[in-house]
Amino acid sequence: MTKSKERKVRPYINPYVGGVLLGLVLLAANFVSGRGLGASGAIKSTVVTAMNTVAPEASANSGFVKEFGEAHSGSPMKTWLVFEMMGVLVGGFLSGALAGRLRFKVEHSPKITSRRRLIFALAGGVLFGFGSQLGRGCTSGSALSGMAVLSLGGFVTMMAIFGTAFALAYFFRKNWI
Amino acid sequence: MGPLSVNELISENTNLFLAFIIGIGFGFVLEQSGFSSSRKLAGVFYGYDTVVLKVFFTAAITAMLGLLFFSLFGWIDLNLVYVNPTYLTSAILGGIIMGVGFIMGGYCPGTSFCGASIGKLDALVFIGGLFLGVFIFGLGYNLWEGTYMANFLGSPKVSESLGMSDGIFAFILIIIALAMFWVAEWAEKKFPREEY
Amino acid sequence: MKPRTLLAMFIIPMGLIIAAVPQNKTKPYKLTADQLLAEVNTRTQYITPDAVADMIVKKDPSLRLIDVRSQEEFEKFSLPGAVNIPVNDLLSDKYTDILNQDVKMNVFYSNGSLVANEAWMITRQLGYINNYVLEGGLNYWFDAIMNPQKPSTVNSDEEFAKYDFRKSAGAALGGGGVVASTSEQTSASPKPAIKPAAKKKKAAGGC
Repeated sequence: MTKSKERKVRPYINPYVGGVLLGLVLLAANFVSGRGLGASGAIKSTVVTAMNTVAPEASANSGFVKEFGEAHSGSPMKTWLVFEMMGVLVGGFLSGALAGRLRFKVEHSPKITSRRRLIFALAGGVLFGFGSQLGRGCTSGSALSGMAVLSLGGFVTMMAIFGTAFALAYFFRKNWI
Repeated sequence: MGPLSVNELISENTNLFLAFIIGIGFGFVLEQSGFSSSRKLAGVFYGYDTVVLKVFFTAAITAMLGLLFFSLFGWIDLNLVYVNPTYLTSAILGGIIMGVGFIMGGYCPGTSFCGASIGKLDALVFIGGLFLGVFIFGLGYNLWEGTYMANFLGSPKVSESLGMSDGIFAFILIIIALAMFWVAEWAEKKFPREEY
Repeated sequence: MKPRTLLAMFIIPMGLIIAAVPQNKTKPYKLTADQLLAEVNTRTQYITPDAVADMIVKKDPSLRLIDVRSQEEFEKFSLPGAVNIPVNDLLSDKYTDILNQDVKMNVFYSNGSLVANEAWMITRQLGYINNYVLEGGLNYWFDAIMNPQKPSTVNSDEEFAKYDFRKSAGAALGGGGVVASTSEQTSASPKPAIKPAAKKKKAAGGC
């Protein structure tokens, strides 16, 4: 699928400028709330809420829900990360609207079908979701925010994520190039 | 002074409101940098587009320098800033699983929300996968609780583990990052690329 | 100029500055001396042995006993489930998670209440909450809980109720005529590993 040239799409900003801006957002997050950014935490909140709603008895016995309850008081949806992720949806949408990038599409390499791309996206999502729980945070929460506060775990996770992806890149090259 | 909410300078609800504002900034910058495109994200692993590396490390360094300077000026108490605890086994294992997920799915959780917000359907499917993955983790929590809790090292800083001051480590990291940026730009010239 | 060069020109000098200056390691006091004095005067940091005994017997999960005596003394005798944080190591980073939290109720104890009170004052001045002092310390604990004095017949019913509670609590805790030096029974109870509670005062975990 080649991209349509008829739509006027603003180019992306310079990555270093983007990086500095992202760094300032991260700094603001630390200054305001004493923590970095995150994403998978919001998903965890939602899953915990769903488990509590659908099967309250089973979930009350789950170590996963218990562990979450120990770290968070109050409703699992009324947490910092849930609000932050709602902001991400709004912010991403605003930026896409300004740059003229709002469009429903499945992005993939011309060598593969949309169907294959979606299957891989689902599988990747499952693995990432699982890994983010085991590793106590995803690329934003553990790796990026962890690096900013010089956390040893953040650096280890960052190297494990990017190292593994690099090592396996060859086997999945058809999906991307 | 900072962190504001920990020192109770702002109320809990203000904190959540600011979380929303900060989230908007987060999503906006991610999208502006091109993190809403999975092919652009995956490009870093093939050298044709290294925007992830550049944004990621520039952001980490900016925030790190900011925190160190804020601490120096007494604007923020670093003892109150959350330092991710290190559970060595799960950090490595989780990282490896996330790495596989990254190269297969092309997104990470933050960027998938960003991609979904501008209508990327693959990002939406990826998010569905995330929920499923977290749910599976929750279901079988008892099975991997041992691994999850293994090798707890507290919340050490890398600088402490290496026996140097935060500032010196920060400087070394800056040099490493700049070297990586140089390699990345060289790779982008070497491998052909197109804008997605 | 290339963006990368521009970035380098900015962050390298910043990195050099931050590498050259010493770190800011001050632990700021959160309470002024006046505020602390006012709190000390209310004596609200004290918690009675009866209340603690009741919580131990009921296995209240929110209770955490902290023995601020030396390690030798702790090994010789300690209250059930107590963790040992010698007052000399109070400011060590590895104990911050235990002392600075708002989930559990920490009760400091020492032989009397003097050392425990010192520990409480230091942590309180750092702004930590949920720390308390066992009134009268271990000495009073033994008098009150382990070997309660039967009140004379002229005392009120309330005194008798208190006595009955203390006697049964003392028995449940392995007391009842047992004196400090020989109460191995109590000290042999398994001690939980030091597990950091959720950092609530420090912002809770990220992603």
